[in-house]
Amino acid sequence: MSKALGLGLGIIAAIGGFVDIGDLVFNVAAGATFGYQLLWVIVIGLIGIIVYSEMCGRVAAVSGRAVFDAIRERVGFKGGVVALVSSEVVNLMTLAAELGGVAIALQLLSGLPYRWLIVFAVVAFAVVIWVTTFEWIERIFGFGGLCMLVFAVVAVKLGPDWGQVGAGFVPHIAHTNSLLYAYFVVGILGTAMTPYEVYFYSSGGIEDQWSPKDLGLNRANAILGYGLGGTLSFALMITGGALFLTHGISPQHLGTVALSAEQPLGQLGLLLALVGILFAVGAASIDTVFAGAYNLAQFCGWEWGRYRNPRGAPRFALTWLVLLLLALGILMTGVDPVLLTEYAVLFSVVALPLTYVPILLVANDKAYMGRYVNGRFANALGLIYLVVIMIVALAAIPLMILTNVGQN
Amino acid sequence: MSGKEIDIGLHVLDHQLLDKDGRRCGNVDDLAIEGGVGEVPEVVAILCGPGYWGPRAGLVGRLAGWIGGGRKVRVPWSEVCKVDSAVELKRGATELGLGRGDDRVRPYMDKIPGAGR
Repeated sequence: MSKALGLGLGIIAAIGGFVDIGDLVFNVAAGATFGYQLLWVIVIGLIGIIVYSEMCGRVAAVSGRAVFDAIRERVGFKGGVVALVSSEVVNLMTLAAELGGVAIALQLLSGLPYRWLIVFAVVAFAVVIWVTTFEWIERIFGFGGLCMLVFAVVAVKLGPDWGQVGAGFVPHIAHTNSLLYAYFVVGILGTAMTPYEVYFYSSGGIEDQWSPKDLGLNRANAILGYGLGGTLSFALMITGGALFLTHGISPQHLGTVALSAEQPLGQLGLLLALVGILFAVGAASIDTVFAGAYNLAQFCGWEWGRYRNPRGAPRFALTWLVLLLLALGILMTGVDPVLLTEYAVLFSVVALPLTYVPILLVANDKAYMGRYVNGRFANALGLIYLVVIMIVALAAIPLMILTNVGQN
Repeated sequence: MSGKEIDIGLHVLDHQLLDKDGRRCGNVDDLAIEGGVGEVPEVVAILCGPGYWGPRAGLVGRLAGWIGGGRKVRVPWSEVCKVDSAVELKRGATELGLGRGDDRVRPYMDKIPGAGR
């Protein structure tokens, strides 16, 4: 029973955790620009995150190593420093973007000034993480994030042309505006495979003391959790296509995304959408800030853990406090969270190989993994995705420049 | 330590250090190896702390080590009780001079209410 409960909670957390500000921005904007044409990219990203999360969870369960332990052991100190610095920079940008998203959702709900709400959000997160045990954080944000399911209802209610939706799942290249199309391909893949998700996921496996017995749970968590989270990405893109493309609106503001729920469902829809965005992006903020603290603590060999109190893991606690303050500083410069999100996703794409190559190496190492080493299927998928990741990483910056960060 | 063979480069270097109570207290940042020409080299100590990062990664390592405070701790190999996914030590971290950063930050964290939740 407790296993089923654990699985259920894990899935709820994954739904909230998968959908973050990057998914909101890229999927809706892609829908508003290209209709349903890019749905197939979500599928590819989704399978990618499932493959690598399962691998990380398996490495955690079998070898007892979280991702950053494995990275440093496997690529050595020098490579480890490069991976650490780049992941921390990307993490901080992502954290600032997510917190900005929280402040926007709060602003739309309360009408108070945005800058005050940034400060409020950062202080609130610091207090909540400091005084609340992680079990409760996970439940509160997991259930709150379920309000995002309103977008699935919205997508259906808007009555999209299901034939066209179906055609969107078939991979194809756009005939017009193909540079912008490629930019969205990179962005959607990047936001689906954001590395903070695997840092957070694998460290959680260590903290829950997974052993080879839990490999089934790991697989179920990865497939069902991310799979269900992914359906929300589909819904967001379909909503963008059915509502904004047909009306010629390009959503430049997170509020526009929430407003899409008002048209078919009225005030209640808008409220659910805003609350859902608030909790989903809030959960992502917490995952991101912990991911940053995990990476540094694991690299340096400090005490760490989201279930540990600040007394038990002092430098880990200090790290996430500092990261929250740095994110606050970034947001107070007045940078637009949506633009920050786009930069964060694109830079994370560039850094993807630094995370995923060592994971693939470790998952193939008999000395670490024994008989739980990658099978042919996992390796075939892992290698295919490695190629995809490499291409996308190389293409990200040129596409960002050529499309002026998706502006034309 | 005796018995089965281990690959020092892969199974010891850069691994987590655990003290006798299972406390995480640093990583194996480098190893002290002795033995002249023609002799069998022997690992005599684990070297731990940001002060050892410089020699491993040049300028980047020196910069990171300087930010990290440059501390150096030498743990004799005789203190190692087991090499598993982590390197387990026979004594407590404080006795060996390890984990001092966490010990130093803890009192400040403790001043904030709720640190022991």
